[in-house]
Amino acid sequence: MDAAFLIESAVKVLIVLGFVLLGVPLIVWMERKVIGHMQDRIGPQRVGPFGLLQTIADGIKLFFKEDIIPSQADRVVFFLAPALSVITAFVALSVVPFGDKVTVFGRDVPLHVADVNVAILWVLGTTSMGVYGIVLGGWASNSKYPLLGGLRSSAQMISYELAQGISLVSVILMTGTLSLAGIVAQQEHMWFIVPQFFAFVIFLLCGIAETNRAPFDLPEAETELVAGFHTEYSSMKFALYFLAEYANMMVVSAVAISVFFGGWRGPFLPPVAWFLIKLSLFLFFFVWLRATFPRLRYDQLMAFGWKVLLPASLLNLAVTAVVVALTG
Amino acid sequence: MGEAILFTLFSLSAVAFALGMVFRRNAVHCALHLVGVLLSLSGMFVLLHAQFIAAIQILVYAGAIMVLFLFVVMLLNVKGETPLLTPGAAKGFGFFFAFIAFVELLWIVVSQGGTEGEPAPLQALPPNFGSPAEIGRILYTTWLFPFEVTSILLMIAVVGAVVLAKRKFA
Amino acid sequence: MGSMGVPTEYYQLVAALLFTIGLIGVLVRRSALIIFMSIELMLNAVNLSFVAFSRQHGQMDGQIFVFFVMAVAAAEVAVGLAILVAIFRNRETASVDEVHLLKG
Repeated sequence: MDAAFLIESAVKVLIVLGFVLLGVPLIVWMERKVIGHMQDRIGPQRVGPFGLLQTIADGIKLFFKEDIIPSQADRVVFFLAPALSVITAFVALSVVPFGDKVTVFGRDVPLHVADVNVAILWVLGTTSMGVYGIVLGGWASNSKYPLLGGLRSSAQMISYELAQGISLVSVILMTGTLSLAGIVAQQEHMWFIVPQFFAFVIFLLCGIAETNRAPFDLPEAETELVAGFHTEYSSMKFALYFLAEYANMMVVSAVAISVFFGGWRGPFLPPVAWFLIKLSLFLFFFVWLRATFPRLRYDQLMAFGWKVLLPASLLNLAVTAVVVALTG
Repeated sequence: MGEAILFTLFSLSAVAFALGMVFRRNAVHCALHLVGVLLSLSGMFVLLHAQFIAAIQILVYAGAIMVLFLFVVMLLNVKGETPLLTPGAAKGFGFFFAFIAFVELLWIVVSQGGTEGEPAPLQALPPNFGSPAEIGRILYTTWLFPFEVTSILLMIAVVGAVVLAKRKFA
Repeated sequence: MGSMGVPTEYYQLVAALLFTIGLIGVLVRRSALIIFMSIELMLNAVNLSFVAFSRQHGQMDGQIFVFFVMAVAAAEVAVGLAILVAIFRNRETASVDEVHLLKG
């Protein structure tokens, strides 16, 4: 554990952090612009060129807003919950490889913060810790709608985590490694979307449910629950939840890219560029979904998770296992 | 050196969180303190070269089991107990027996489980010690039968939980 | 690493402390939920002990044991919480002092 390694790690951590913090306003801008055009509007256009600085302006506005804490709220937990949401999203990104090795000052620097041999478990674990941020936020507000939103999200995330995990297991069966860098390394000739198309579909659906995005955004269904778990949140604490939601979209997209779409692999362009292109396409897909589909009912959501996705992922796993066993 | 610092940090936080868990009134706070203990222990598992177990600890214990706890606590909306501790002589007995148990455990640790001579030195570890691949290899060879039994146990638990939850009470 | 590592006894000491705290929780708390959590704490103390011994002897069997303990704990929590919810539905309480009757 030499000094160079520590500096290298610190720089990479800062890059990833900065990337997320800069990327989220861009995604929000893209979302508003894209949905605007899909709904025959033009979206933000006043602040900066093409309205690019709109999100920054909104952020500054949130920063200066009054920070309201409900009088009966559990103060410590109320503060802790949004922080937990953001931290878990950031931490999950630490194992995602976003490029090939590069050589800086004669050192081979792999472009991920940490290549642990349990990377997939790490991502699943941290995203499952992300539930706490939402559940606790809902509970600590000491208010009806947030509590209902929090309970909904905990049930939803526990249900969809299962199918998500199992869909990844079928890829792990093929690669024999839990390291994301290792999985990317094995996709030199064929992306795993080809043999594992069903696993990808299941993973993506569960990912949308895990990030509480439309059409699975039941925890914050505004027609039923005001704003769900963050009804009582204002100012920067609300901004943190906002940040966490988009950072979580990045996590799901980044994992999907690494596991099913060859990670940073691609012709002609440098690896990091390919990673960013794929990431943008995924985020566009998230936005597209939101503009297209109406929200599910809660019983439909749970039934879909338990009665369709879970059996489908198990079936996919069984078939994969048989094929892997037969072909060696 | 780094290991010693991290060990101190994790052990202190684990014990502090554990104390908080036992003596907090609010059940949600208790559950959160237990999550703190679990995360500290996960850190210690990494120090002990058990990466897979550490990841599973976060994924299964902190991420699934404790969320379930929290879910039930919120669902039942249990009020804090008054008084907090069991009243009367039972409380005294409780602390007394816990103390005796601690002294016994301490004696076992200090006396090396009653064995004579110097404790065995720390063994050098193979490079893939604690890795998922190695865990999987042992699990599906040496421990295959217990593993299968565990899967049946989980099945029984699922059925039991569903039956209990579905049953209509008078 | 290697000889510089933290001695196994220290880990055992922490495990013993955690186990005792869990035991106190089981013995003196009244809410069934907290007692349940204390049992989880005791299980975790034992897990720490297993992993520490596993590292000491350079054998992975201890970690496998922890794996099984976690699986059993998951099953136990599922059933235990279902029982608690059932009791709470019937009796409107989670205190063990008030559910000491075997009938009704």
